[in-house]
Amino acid sequence: MMDELELLKRDWQKNDKKLPQLSFDEIYKMIWKKSSSIVKWIFLISIIEFLVPHLLYFLPSMSKNLAVWKDLGLGNFLLISNVVQYTVVLFFIFQFYKRYKEISTLDNAKKLLSNILKTRKTVKYYVIFCLSLIFISFIVMAVGIYLNEDPMAAMGYSYQPENISREQLKTTLIATVVVLGIVVTLVMGCIYFLLYGILLKKLKKNYKELKDMDI
Amino acid sequence: MTKDLEHQFVTELEHNQNIVHKVCTLYTNDRDSHNDLFQEITIQLWKAYPKFRGESKFSTWMYRVALNTAITLYRKSKKSIPTQDYESVMFKITADEYDPTEEQQLKLMYNAVRQLGDVDKALVFLYLEDKDYREIAETLGITEVNARVKMNRIKNKLKTILNP
Repeated sequence: MMDELELLKRDWQKNDKKLPQLSFDEIYKMIWKKSSSIVKWIFLISIIEFLVPHLLYFLPSMSKNLAVWKDLGLGNFLLISNVVQYTVVLFFIFQFYKRYKEISTLDNAKKLLSNILKTRKTVKYYVIFCLSLIFISFIVMAVGIYLNEDPMAAMGYSYQPENISREQLKTTLIATVVVLGIVVTLVMGCIYFLLYGILLKKLKKNYKELKDMDI
Repeated sequence: MTKDLEHQFVTELEHNQNIVHKVCTLYTNDRDSHNDLFQEITIQLWKAYPKFRGESKFSTWMYRVALNTAITLYRKSKKSIPTQDYESVMFKITADEYDPTEEQQLKLMYNAVRQLGDVDKALVFLYLEDKDYREIAETLGITEVNARVKMNRIKNKLKTILNP
């Protein structure tokens, strides 16, 4: 019996006439359209991820928060964490740009997939770093509240509840901050990983397929 | 200068567009997705064109960029549902003398190929385009031996589909 694939090949090569034909002008128009490739999406989302935490500082409520940090006696922590954060962010941006530039459709499929996934990994580490920083900030704030004599005043509230002791209030505040820290970190982490999970499902699957072939 | 480059590129792509259309028929299920993928491949080819500059044949280079786009960069392929009119246009069987067994076989095989994973599809596509194993291996980034092994597996898979 004839090789089935040879039969298919014969037919495949006769199929040319039935394919759609685009004119010069139609193709010419296409080269100016915007790409919607995965790499472009990763690039855009990453830019947003790099920018959003910094834009937050421009919100009025955020600036007020900064004052609270100082009043809680955590000004130094804020300064150090900012220096660390920006150093790390610069490193990540450099790394990201370098890897992004390495992505080329002229590479073979395996190399291309591997380069895209590497670029994406850089962003992943950056986000893990940011999430940790957010979480640590909440914990440090909890510690600040614990060490502060009058945390309510430090946070700008003059209100003094009557039927609750200062200690109880402190405990409640600390618990709230810690829970909030966990929730915010988890929610942001979930959104992030879901987003990339969907975006990269196909890439990961195809990369695995190619890698498995060479085992 | 840029105008020249544009003109040169579009002319070459116009002559070789069948390659891109064939990739699109394998990787998409309806006409809209086909056009979408065609456009994305065109954009990627145009972006890579300045780097190409005649190192290999235009068509050889096209295979690589087109498949890379289909396998890695293109996003929408999974959701589309096969439509009857698209299937019948793209895969109308062209057996010279009408042979019901052969037509049936080809139909089954086209269906089977379209059900393969993205990477396997690329392998079959290059094979159908009469590329040798060295080129298939280079395009995908695997070794020649493994390309052969994999292709044999796909052949066997298709055999079982046709002769259950």
